[in-house]
Order: sequence, then C-alpha cells, then structure tokens
Amino acid sequence: MMLRAAYRIAWKDVMGDFRRRSTLSAMLFFAISVLVVFQAAFNPDRREAMQLLPGLLWVTILFTSLVGLGRVFQAEEEDGAFEGLMLAPLGRGVIFLGKWLGNLVLTVAVEVLLLPLMLILFNVDGWSSLPAVFGVLLLGTLGLTGLGVLLAALTQAARSRETLLALLLLPLVVPLLIAGVQATAALLSGQGELTAWVRLMVVFDMIYLALAPWAFGWLVEE
Amino acid sequence: MDRLARFQRWTGWLTLLLLGVALTLVVNAPADFQQSNSVRILFVHVPSAKMSLLMYVAVTVCSIWVLVRRSETADILAAAAAPVGAAFAAVTLATGSIWGKPMWGTWWAWDARLTSMLVLLIIYVGLMALRSALDDPQKSARATAVMAIVGAVDLPIIHFSVTWWRTLHQPPSIAGPGAGKIHIAGPLLTPLIAMAIAFIALGAYMWFVNARLIRASRRLEQLDTEHEEHG
Repeated sequence: MMLRAAYRIAWKDVMGDFRRRSTLSAMLFFAISVLVVFQAAFNPDRREAMQLLPGLLWVTILFTSLVGLGRVFQAEEEDGAFEGLMLAPLGRGVIFLGKWLGNLVLTVAVEVLLLPLMLILFNVDGWSSLPAVFGVLLLGTLGLTGLGVLLAALTQAARSRETLLALLLLPLVVPLLIAGVQATAALLSGQGELTAWVRLMVVFDMIYLALAPWAFGWLVEE
Repeated sequence: MDRLARFQRWTGWLTLLLLGVALTLVVNAPADFQQSNSVRILFVHVPSAKMSLLMYVAVTVCSIWVLVRRSETADILAAAAAPVGAAFAAVTLATGSIWGKPMWGTWWAWDARLTSMLVLLIIYVGLMALRSALDDPQKSARATAVMAIVGAVDLPIIHFSVTWWRTLHQPPSIAGPGAGKIHIAGPLLTPLIAMAIAFIALGAYMWFVNARLIRASRRLEQLDTEHEEHG
C-alpha cells in the first residue's frame, strides 16, 4: 500500500518527464557535452583513455545528476503543488521514497545510454566488463540519488538553488566517488581491490537510504 | 537575566588568562632539535584542528536541539558556531601549509587528514550559504539543522574512506603524518596542552560573541517589521 503510493509518485514524475522530454534529454546532452569538453581538454590516446575512464565516468555522472536533482521538486515548486503533495495522507518517508524513485529511474536511464557511448567515443575496449561496471554504477547511484534528493528538498526554496545544491552535495559524496572510481578501475583493469570498495558503497547507500526519509520528515514538518 | 552576555564575559576573561599562560609557555619552550623554531606553528595548528572539529560537534548538538525542540536559542547558537568552526578549519589549513613547506617540501599534499579538513571547511561554508539563501527563518533553521546532521554523519565516512584510499593505494611516500609514530617530548607537550585548553576558551568566547550579534540583529529586524506595521 505504502510502496504503491511511492510508486505512483515516481510514476507521475517519470511519465511527466517523458511526455515533456525535459529532464532526461537535458541530463543526457549535458553528459555528452561533458565528454566533448573532456576530450577537447585532455585529448587522451587509447591507453590514457583506459586509465582516465573510471574517473571520467563518475565525474560525468556526478555532474549530470546535479542537473536532474535541480529539477526534482521544480514542478511542485512552480505551481505550488508541494503543499498538495504534503497534504496527501501518506507518511513523509513514503513521499520521499516516491520522489527518490522517480529521480533514480531518470538517472539510471541516462547511465544506461552513457556507459556504452563512452566506450565508443573514447575507443576503450571494456565491453566484457560492461555489466559489472554497470552494477557498480547502479550501486553508487542508489546512494547518490538518495542523498541528492534530500539535499534537493533542503535547497528547493533557496536562492541560487542549483549552485547551492552542488556546493552541498559534492563534498558529501567524496566517499562514494572514491569507492566508485576504485571499483570501476578494478573491474576494467582486472586488478586491484574490488570487494572492499563495493562494501563501502553498500554501507554508504544503507546509511543514506535509511537516514534520508527520516531527515525529509523532519525537514517538511509544519 | 542575559546568560549569553555573562558567558561571553566569563569566557573572554578566561581566554585572556589562559592564552597569556599558554603563550608564555610556548615562547619559553625549547626549539625542536630537527624542526628548530618551525615547530612553534604547531602550537596554533593542532589546537585549531581540534577546535574545528569540536565546533562541528557543537553545531550538530544545537541542530538536533532545533529539530526536537524548535528552539530559537539553539538555532542562534548553531548559526553562531558555524563561522567560528570554519575560521578554525581555515587557520588549520593555512598553518599546516606554512609548516608543510619547510618540513615536507610542499605546501599541500592530498594526504588523508588534509583532505578531510578541506572537506570540513567546505561543509561549514555550505552550511553558512544554505542558511543565508533561505528567506523564511523557520525553514532556514530546519533546513540548516538537517544539513548539519547529514554532514555529521558523513564526516566520519569521508575521513575513513580517504584514509583507506591512501593506505590501500600506497604508504605515504613523503614524510607525512603517520609515516612514523610521532612522540612529542614533554617540554613541547606541556605548552601544546596549555594552548589546546586556551583555544577551547577562545572558541567558546568567539561563539558567544557571534551568538549575541546574531540575536541582536534578529531582534533589530523584528523591531523593524513591527515598526513598519504600526506605521
């Protein structure tokens, strides 16, 4: 019942976005332009590209997620529907879960498109480890969007909201970024520590997915 | 009646006294046999580092208090603590750099502790920016409190992950902290402890001064709106 409600909220957000094709395409083309800028700045050869790929992948995802997170509460904020959502006979945690799920679907959709695109554009032969890299990416995205949606809720009424969101989110996701890059590098090169970093990501995810719905409840309480 | 003012006066005198004693000890401390007089900057550096963390504890406690009790006093105290903590974090980084140049041969290394301290400073700045970016004082108080708690949860994870990353990667190649177990000789330890105690008083004093300022400016704003309402 509760999960169903969260699912309806997520569905509303995702469908609304697909119909307007706004956030998803904005995120995707933002990600692609980051790749272009990176290529222009570093012009890596194949070997360098292989080494740079894990870091580039995660930095691109991080910046791209900021584009999506900036809009999580935008529709509600613009037509004053946030109060309506809060009046729904649901726990605050459920509402948070719904908003988080919607953002997660969009972010994962971008990642599904971005990862193969990166291998093609940078001429990197990582196709055999693609599913595993995607698994690590998904694991990181759970925590990233969990924390991100909470911070989006914190900053939704703020002036220069998107800059503030980046300022708050980027330092906090440093552990996730380190673990994600290290795990991806281990998968692509076939050497290095993998399980320890995956474990760190799981811990990060669990902490934030447990904390965020509570914190959201504290935040919006009238 | 006014507890804040009393706290401020008390901690002010206490700071003066303790700093006087501690600085005398620092000046009379012998120079380190390897680091010569550069070691004296650590008497500011180490207490600042401790205080930057301690102020975050203060911010977190006040933030929990804001969320549970909706207390305005707690909000003023949380608002007042953040800039003080940020100042201590900045002093820690600056003095560390100045010490690092002659000792490590570089201003900066992405060592675990340096990285966590820098992140701490950014989190402080983020808290201050968030507070000032929200117009509604109630919303501002709650949002900042939630952010402070999120930061408090994250700081240990950041510290742990950065340390882990560095040690998994490679042992510190330059003579960084942690490269060897460091023993501080007694003649240097006493002034260090004295400075740490004096800095606690200093931090508290700065905190209370700032809290009084914030409280006064809020009252002024309140009077201003009341004045406008009455014509």
